[in-house]
Amino acid sequence: MELTAQAIFTGLLMGGFYGLVAVGLALVFGTMKVINLAHGELVLLAAYIAYAVESQTGINPLLAMPIAMAVVIAASLITFYLTNKIKKDRELNSLILTFGLGIVLTNGLLMVFSADIYSTQNAWFMEGLVIADSLFSMRSEMLAFVVGLCALGGLYWWLNHTWHGRAIRSVSSNRDAAKLMGMNPTKAELWSWGVAGVLAALAGVMLYVTSVIHPPIGHSLTIKAFIITVLAGMGSIPGVLVGALMIGVIEGLTTTFFQSSLSELASMTVFLLVLLVMPSGLFGKKGGH
Amino acid sequence: MLKVENLSVNFGGVRALQNVSFEVQKHEVLGLVGPNGAGKTTSFNVLSGTVRPTSGSVTYDGHDILKSSMHQRVTFGIGRTFQIPQPMHELSVRENLIVAQRFGRPDGKVKQERIDEILESVNLLHKAEADAATELALTERKALEVAKALATEPTLLMLDEVLAGLETTSKKLFMQTLKDIREKYSLSMIVIEHDIETIMNMCDRVVVFNFGKVIADGDPEETFRNPEVVRSYTGEVPA
Amino acid sequence: MNIKISALMLAVMYLGVPFLLGGNDYLIGLVASALIIAGVAVAWALLGNLGGMVSFGHAAFFGVGAYTSAVLTMDYGVPVFVALVVGGIGASLSSIFMMPALRLRGPYFALAILAYAEIFKILATEATGLTGGAGGLLSIPSLPVFAGVDFGTKLGGYIVILNIVTLMLITYYFIRRSSYGLALKAMHDSELATRIVGVPATYLKVVMLLVSAFMTGAVGAFNAHYINFLEPDYAFSGTWTVFPIVAAIFGGYRTLSGPVLGALFIYLVDQLVFKNLIPQGHQMILGVMLAGMIILSPSGLLPVITNLFTRKKADNKRGEAQHA
Repeated sequence: MELTAQAIFTGLLMGGFYGLVAVGLALVFGTMKVINLAHGELVLLAAYIAYAVESQTGINPLLAMPIAMAVVIAASLITFYLTNKIKKDRELNSLILTFGLGIVLTNGLLMVFSADIYSTQNAWFMEGLVIADSLFSMRSEMLAFVVGLCALGGLYWWLNHTWHGRAIRSVSSNRDAAKLMGMNPTKAELWSWGVAGVLAALAGVMLYVTSVIHPPIGHSLTIKAFIITVLAGMGSIPGVLVGALMIGVIEGLTTTFFQSSLSELASMTVFLLVLLVMPSGLFGKKGGH
Repeated sequence: MLKVENLSVNFGGVRALQNVSFEVQKHEVLGLVGPNGAGKTTSFNVLSGTVRPTSGSVTYDGHDILKSSMHQRVTFGIGRTFQIPQPMHELSVRENLIVAQRFGRPDGKVKQERIDEILESVNLLHKAEADAATELALTERKALEVAKALATEPTLLMLDEVLAGLETTSKKLFMQTLKDIREKYSLSMIVIEHDIETIMNMCDRVVVFNFGKVIADGDPEETFRNPEVVRSYTGEVPA
Repeated sequence: MNIKISALMLAVMYLGVPFLLGGNDYLIGLVASALIIAGVAVAWALLGNLGGMVSFGHAAFFGVGAYTSAVLTMDYGVPVFVALVVGGIGASLSSIFMMPALRLRGPYFALAILAYAEIFKILATEATGLTGGAGGLLSIPSLPVFAGVDFGTKLGGYIVILNIVTLMLITYYFIRRSSYGLALKAMHDSELATRIVGVPATYLKVVMLLVSAFMTGAVGAFNAHYINFLEPDYAFSGTWTVFPIVAAIFGGYRTLSGPVLGALFIYLVDQLVFKNLIPQGHQMILGVMLAGMIILSPSGLLPVITNLFTRKKADNKRGEAQHA
């Protein structure tokens, strides 16, 4: 019983982090119908920047956040610029384009940082934290979870209660009508991609302090983010949280009671089941894709 | 040979069809009339398979239609045209008919002379190599729509407002073409049309729809004198 | 692609290459590997063009074909050439699990297939008894001697994969030309129009998936017997998905020969040039090419190049006519 509770607890914490990773992709997908297959690499890029800062200067990697944000936002906007240059078959071609960009980023990181595995040397992050006398976690896991929740909450609030956020939503649902209402769709789209960059940077720095990094991880992160986005249903931030927590818990339970190598199998299978039974996701609008 | 019994279709809260029943005999031309949204095209959609009914049954020549897939129904002999012509893209007119023959005929054979014959009968032979989706005028697109259906060698041809949008001369010519086709290929037909004159001219019997229900079924002349039918069209009681 | 160019290609591949490179195992091996990529690229393009489905998981079929064939020859003594075919069939059967995904549109389908590929990879790693697990399978039998020719050599294997790819192209050609090909073409933008005249659209898509899987599986099986070694991370590696896609897009995925020419070009240039320039991360150039290709010339680079040549020829002809 204690084992189960621990597994679920760890799973929830991981889920919060996964949500943070996924929501940037979900935002762009939900607002622009573009799947950024290089999203995981953007997260990884931020993680490597945190590594670079820590290994060069010895300071707390969290302080690398501003640099990471600047770089990743720039990368995100460049991706946006390139996807705009696609003339036909937007949906499919942007998939292939971002796929290519992902390859460029992964190999770029490989070239600069080599295939070695890195993780933070700062002991504070790895120290244990005990909740309710029996649930154990690393400080970093809890931190990532809290940051994740805040980011998701903040994003939800932003999309629903601020002018910019609502502008993004209106542009995504009807571009022409939005134009007629005086909105500049390109500006709204810039905001989308920019915010996605911010979220990716947050996720990346959290990744660095909770886990290990090496180039192939970018690809796995993208896949995970996409699975969660589809699970959530198009355009649903709460869905991303629920989906992410679900995946996290499934992985936690599989790792504890079976083997860690099967945890990916479990989440893939759940993904497929949901996709086949509920193509519009857990919270998606019915009659959608 | 076509028996529709107690067909009901609910779209969410909308009751598109409510317990609709009618029959079509061999060689008969049945007209479906009624105001827009009354359920005529929905009936076609159920018969051809693009919509699933909530309840009811449809039999054709002994086959349980609702249990058959869309492509099977075509081989049973049910052919259908769409109100807005749906040509097969990236194919020429001739290729459209080749595909229709290959997959729609019970024997699955492609017969070029037959394709020529059909195209000739709808005045499309001169456009056989034209791109079906981009190089045809409206009348030609409607003609292709009928030709495609004919290529599957149907025994029941369902025409959904095939004359709509055509101006008078084209309409008259097209109507004559359809009558000739009916004679030549001894088809049964179900025709959805709004123009009462056309219906009187072409149909042996008429079924009137209103708000998803059948309100009249019988000889065209008598039916159009039926006060309830007139009221459904004009909203007034006839003199 | 007209007859003359096709004939030229065949001559180069069947006669030119063996004659020029036959003595050099390394080079012949490279061209054979390029053809392996080409095979998957053709299968991928076939599924996309005829089936209308873009897949991001062809590595799954490759791996299943490879392991099926390897296990059959090692544990059950099945003759290698037969096992190649059964490998293809195995991959086809594995695609049956993907049938439910056919309902999904565009990117959803692509990623569902990706998920399947990951699942197969993990299953292959875990099923240690059957597949030798993460350690891999060693000493997989080579292609045998047949009709006096030793196909187990690098050159012999090259001929075999060349035949496989040629057969694939012939099949692709005939499907495309047939009324099935017509129906499949029309299904992209006007599926309803095809269904209403009796086309069993879903069945056709299923068949295309089975065919594409079979082809990829057979190629994967060949690879296993060519390099005599398999391990899950290798057999199901994303490379078998990525490279063929880059190759097909580069060469022009709408044409028959595009994927093949693209594969030959991309693979050989990557192995002979890029790898020497940037030992670690040379695949980056492929990423750049892929991204650049999509923006600048979505129908591939090779059509652009051939256009350049035909235009030059036409200009020359015009020049001649004027001077005549």
